[in-house]
Amino acid sequence: MGDLLSGFADALTPGNLLWAFVGVTIGTAVGVLPGIGPALTVALLLPVTFRLEPAAALIMFAGIYYGGMYGGSTTSILLNTPGESASVATALEGNKMARAGRGAAALATAALGSFVAGTIGTIALSAAAPLVADIAVNFGPPEYVALMAVAFVTVSALLGPSLLKGAAGLVIGATIGLVGIDTQTGQTRLSFGLPSLFDGIDVVIVVVALFALGETFAHLIAGTGASRVEPLRGQPMLSREDFRRSWPAWLRGTALGFPIGSLPAGGADVPTFLSYSIEKRLSKRPEQFGRGAIEGVAGPEAANNAAAAGVLVPLLTIGLPTSATAAVILTAFQSYGLQPGPQLFSESGDLVWALIASLYIGNVLLLVLNLPLAKVWVRLLGIPAYGIYAGVLVFACLGAFAAGGTIADLIVLTVLGLLGLLMREAGVPVAPAVVGLILAPLAEQQLRRALALSEGDWSTLVSSPLTVALWILVVLALVAPPLLSWRRRRVSQTLEETSTTH
Amino acid sequence: MTDIEEGRPLPETPEVAHREARAAGALGVLMVVAAVVVLVDAARLRDSDEALGPAAAPTLLGVLLGLIGGALAFQSRHFLRTPERPHRRLWRLAALVAGLVAFALLLPIMGYVVSSAGLFTGAALLLGAPHPARVAAYGWTLAVIVFLVFDVLIGLSLPTGPWGF
Repeated sequence: MGDLLSGFADALTPGNLLWAFVGVTIGTAVGVLPGIGPALTVALLLPVTFRLEPAAALIMFAGIYYGGMYGGSTTSILLNTPGESASVATALEGNKMARAGRGAAALATAALGSFVAGTIGTIALSAAAPLVADIAVNFGPPEYVALMAVAFVTVSALLGPSLLKGAAGLVIGATIGLVGIDTQTGQTRLSFGLPSLFDGIDVVIVVVALFALGETFAHLIAGTGASRVEPLRGQPMLSREDFRRSWPAWLRGTALGFPIGSLPAGGADVPTFLSYSIEKRLSKRPEQFGRGAIEGVAGPEAANNAAAAGVLVPLLTIGLPTSATAAVILTAFQSYGLQPGPQLFSESGDLVWALIASLYIGNVLLLVLNLPLAKVWVRLLGIPAYGIYAGVLVFACLGAFAAGGTIADLIVLTVLGLLGLLMREAGVPVAPAVVGLILAPLAEQQLRRALALSEGDWSTLVSSPLTVALWILVVLALVAPPLLSWRRRRVSQTLEETSTTH
Repeated sequence: MTDIEEGRPLPETPEVAHREARAAGALGVLMVVAAVVVLVDAARLRDSDEALGPAAAPTLLGVLLGLIGGALAFQSRHFLRTPERPHRRLWRLAALVAGLVAFALLLPIMGYVVSSAGLFTGAALLLGAPHPARVAAYGWTLAVIVFLVFDVLIGLSLPTGPWGF
């Protein structure tokens, strides 16, 4: 508790508050643009924070992160174009509400729900992270290998339309992660003698290429552009009735989001859909679902934000990113001189607590800023697609240049952008590729370390009860998804029925 | 209606499903080619005295790339045989890729502002912007603002042309 207070003392200087304010503003402004999800928002805006001192950079970054998340919900509700799969559930009811002229209420319940969930999630993070770090200190390489295996399997199984396509995304990312000098032997892998590839390919470049260039290229060949923005009537406020229906959904969403998000498996998608189906089942007016039920916005939106705080638990304490956004955050932390892992809390405690305090502050600023400014964000949605994507391209090139600093990085960006287009067209999800890119080199390193310690004895991988349990989880995660997807198909079938019956 | 799992529009028409299958097939073939490259590259590596050498991970990934790519290509083998009608705007894609490469090459010579304004204008026109003059004005404005904010204010040194911006 004392640590957290001193974190607040570090974060709450007037200068830092200004950076937080700037971060939330530009994070929301970029996150609101259609097709730009939180991972891409954070990756695109990362260069802005590069030249700040670490504490200021962290607090601005926290602002960008929360701003990007909220901007994404605004787009989902008013435009029905979720920027990432975790806001799909919000779009389901939110866009229906907007079409029925209740967009303002949908935005308000999303903002308040994000605030409630974000606050509870951050409190839970402050409590859970030091505990998990204490446990994780005792983890050896075998435990890390098993944890990463769980993350690989769940990420490819959960984040895609099918296990095969999810695995394709993961393996493509992992292969990109191979590029560069092998740290153990100093040999170059997949660099083809090109010096600019010796240091590997920067994560920011891969994220920007796969998400931003992929999206831009897709628009280019599809020739799409005109999208329908639902106009916003009235101030974003909740009526007494709306509030009464929203708050239990916020709390239920939070209760689902944080624990599931903090598992080393899967990130924020699962809790949002779980929350959606639970709200639908518990609702006294199930017939409203599919026509704009406010609970269907409040619950998933809270689950999404609580999960976003939960994802930080494995990220900070174990160094394990389980979503594309978390992968970008990991690179950001590394560029600020923070190395996530069990030692983080003991080695750079000041900065971590400043970061956690920043998350609280960002959350409050978001609420203060967004409800009054909702109409300004809506106007951003009116920017024509050609303007948005040409601008995205300019910022993507800027981000790649800032991350790498050479012309070769821009060429790599273009080539990976084409790969992103092909993956997108093929229905292969991009998020597992980003997770694979980060995790695969770490997994290789830990596996080689484990085998070096055991002198080549593979049984070291199952030498503790925890590792055995984790490997059983891996097998379960491979077997369970076919069953789950059968269930989910049932859910989406019923959804389709409800949406066509009126 | 959106696909609850992916957030992408469901393939409403057979044509869209066909296109996705073709793309999956093409990606599969590309993955098999990449598998060969990765395996050849892995075979070239000198082994170390570790239990698991530098070639182990690339070999495993090469095999996985080949298997998964092969499966994707196999699933869409019917679609790969039928030729596609060439009405999709692939030439636009080629033009934009050329524009990006030109941007990369011209950046150190022409400076950030000129190259970025050019990139914005070119991309916007390819994406279907109606007024070339207005788009060029937007491009210049954006490039100048970015240069002022990032180079002058934040201190991220961006390349300058002979004219200093």
